[in-house]
Amino acid sequence: MSEITLIIDGKTCKGLQGDTILEVARRNDTYIPTLCYLKGLSPSGACRMCVVEVEGSNKLLTSCTTPAQDGMVVSTKTDKLFNYRKQILELLFAGRNHFCMFCSQSGDCELQTLAIEHGMDSVRYPYLYHDFENDATSADLQMDHNRCILCGRCIRMCAEKVGAHTLDLKERGWSASVIADLGEMMGDSETCINCGACAQVCPTGTITIREFVYRGRRHDCDEVVESICPMCSVGCEIKCYVRTRSLARVEGSNTEGPDGGQLCHKGRWWLPESTERERLSVPMIREGSTFREASWDEALTKAALKMKDAWGKSKAGAILSGIQTDEELTFYSDVFKNTLNLKYIDCFSGDVLRGFKKGFQPFVEQGVHPFTAAHNILESDMILTIEADPQDEAPVVASYIRVATIHKEAKLANICDCTTPFKGITDVDIRSDRKEIRKVLLQLVKAVSEGSEITGNLKLNTLARMLEKAEKPVLILGGKLADEAANITAATNLAIASRAFFADGLGIVPMVRSGNSLAAINTVLGEEAWLETADIDCLYVSSTGLVPESPQSLEAMSMARFCIVQTPFMVHPLVNMADILLPAPAWYERSGHFCTIEGERRRLNVIVRPKKDLKGLSEIFNTITDKMGISIASSEVRPCENIFTTQVPPEKAQMAVLEEV
Amino acid sequence: MTKPKIATTWLEACAGCHMSFLDIDERIVDLLDAVELTSTPITDIKEIPQVDVGVISGALGNEEELHIALKMRKQCKILIAWGDCAVFGGINCMRNFMDASEVLKEGYKNGVSTVNPEGIIPGGDVPALLPKAIPIDYKVKVDVYVPGCPPDPDTILYVFQEILQGRIPKVPVDMMRYD
Repeated sequence: MSEITLIIDGKTCKGLQGDTILEVARRNDTYIPTLCYLKGLSPSGACRMCVVEVEGSNKLLTSCTTPAQDGMVVSTKTDKLFNYRKQILELLFAGRNHFCMFCSQSGDCELQTLAIEHGMDSVRYPYLYHDFENDATSADLQMDHNRCILCGRCIRMCAEKVGAHTLDLKERGWSASVIADLGEMMGDSETCINCGACAQVCPTGTITIREFVYRGRRHDCDEVVESICPMCSVGCEIKCYVRTRSLARVEGSNTEGPDGGQLCHKGRWWLPESTERERLSVPMIREGSTFREASWDEALTKAALKMKDAWGKSKAGAILSGIQTDEELTFYSDVFKNTLNLKYIDCFSGDVLRGFKKGFQPFVEQGVHPFTAAHNILESDMILTIEADPQDEAPVVASYIRVATIHKEAKLANICDCTTPFKGITDVDIRSDRKEIRKVLLQLVKAVSEGSEITGNLKLNTLARMLEKAEKPVLILGGKLADEAANITAATNLAIASRAFFADGLGIVPMVRSGNSLAAINTVLGEEAWLETADIDCLYVSSTGLVPESPQSLEAMSMARFCIVQTPFMVHPLVNMADILLPAPAWYERSGHFCTIEGERRRLNVIVRPKKDLKGLSEIFNTITDKMGISIASSEVRPCENIFTTQVPPEKAQMAVLEEV
Repeated sequence: MTKPKIATTWLEACAGCHMSFLDIDERIVDLLDAVELTSTPITDIKEIPQVDVGVISGALGNEEELHIALKMRKQCKILIAWGDCAVFGGINCMRNFMDASEVLKEGYKNGVSTVNPEGIIPGGDVPALLPKAIPIDYKVKVDVYVPGCPPDPDTILYVFQEILQGRIPKVPVDMMRYD
């Protein structure tokens, strides 16, 4: 891209061909006030705050939409512009009912900030006093149209980044207002996925999040900590607002990235809500049907005794959460695998992760990276979801799929034993019994690689032709598909047959729920499932309490004769299984690294410091192993992002041989 | 030399602006060395004399408030609007979405906690409501606007000090607030 030079306010400013005037100004640290503009979203020129004067033009131009041209002479700070902007602000105030004293966003409001900046000490225009609706029907969001300035940021965010297209405008002029669907109340919207992205980008107090309104305004917070959302392997980057040692609000921070800074309901609501839950603060020992408080020494002595006994009989086991940091998982691997050599070690989502690991194994052996970064879905022209429910498993991946399909005209197909998660935008929707799925995949592989017809099944044949034609298909594999590793291998073969090749690997996005699934695969994942069959005398369970345990794993836990549960929260029924309860730091009290599905190592930071009486993992296990009379052997576990290395470009991948079904 | 005279009044508003004025704390002693407070809710003098500076807090919501505002404008040289109600109409504007008659019905008959079996709405001997609650500059010329709910004590004091220096001030950006 060629460089252009502009004179902005007398200063020589360099920009790139294709930049708008605003972009050149910002590149050169020249401030132009904006309201409807938000970097990452398409500019709309709706609010006209960013107007500038350009020599040779007798009109005021909106700098956010006007392309910069080489040699332009631009003024951004004249009295004329200042007065126009002030006038726009006064008209906005007069048009709706902006009364700051009872607005939850006062102080965080961009409209208010700009009005003050422009010295607006009164409004010269008569107020309309038109009564707009306050839509409080959504359980989580509130939309007060009295405070709307019709900037359209929410509409663009919802459409361009979340792909939900829930919000739009109805009517015109003074009566125009933001609506959900075709005029539904927010609470009745069928398309709203409750991600809260609209509230995050709202510059005024129009769309607000009840939970955050209650917890405090941004400007009331003491600090903002950057971290990562641990709720799934997408690993969205988050900003945590902390007020008096409590998490007040969570916002997406990667606003200029492919996700536009959106979060899903898990990150937006579950994370702050988790800080209100009942904590386990001291060790407890079971006494009959209840627990009694115990000292750390008593609890750890008892734990060591039980563990040593069970270990001697090869009847000790450990189940660990995949929502823990690389550092924690590596340490667990050192303790349970390298030191105690436990046969029975696994993580909660072990079956799914094992399915993926084993299914991808033939390709990993070839040196091929068997999946691609989730945001590459946006580059794809053909998306196939197989036994996946991205809106539930990893909601931001669902956003990528909707955006690619609606805005980039990618085809969307689905094979699943239930209805498509993308109603209305799925081109081909194939029902398949889960037992039959491999047969279907093998049929597709054959049809795509040989260019042959699938007779007797029109839909499947259409899908085969779509995959054949696609330039850059991508396959989304749901956790259910990983029931059997061969399903994953068959799907990977289909990706190779369809030439689903991306720069970073094969066009596959696996749906793994735990935030640090890749590290769990590399550290504590068991070779085989044992939970439901093994005879366990002493079981150590580490849970983050963020995701409910499956009924199967709970049942298996209840079969162990002695259960040591370490968890931050009083999570039932998990704590009911315990004979010893050990408190653990909550996710917001931990630090370390997570490896995302994107293949990136991202840092989890301490958001609220843990209380003094909480003990760290190494202290606990050094005590336990000391009391067992052994010392922990540390190992060199490879960093998680290197497990699936790319030595061979995906184009060179060979299909794995699979038995016919 | 006689001290400049100040009168203040409190129309359709809470007492917040005058509270904020009292929150200048001990600095009020220095201020009173320089000015004379005449008719104010603090001195409880009702009749507004001829003054140099008049202050109105609160919006205009009924005939009496309009009358007082016009009187204040007539009696002063410089008129200050204190607070969001006087400047923007403020919280009083909540009633502007319905007719004045409906407002009275809401207040005297339909209110959830109202006991008024005869359904009597007072009138005649109390001032009539204006059709809408309005900022004071709809009816009187304002010289200095001091928005805020309430304005900070420092801002209130700053405005008086500037006037004492012979200037008609504008509230600076770093002192301006709407909440």
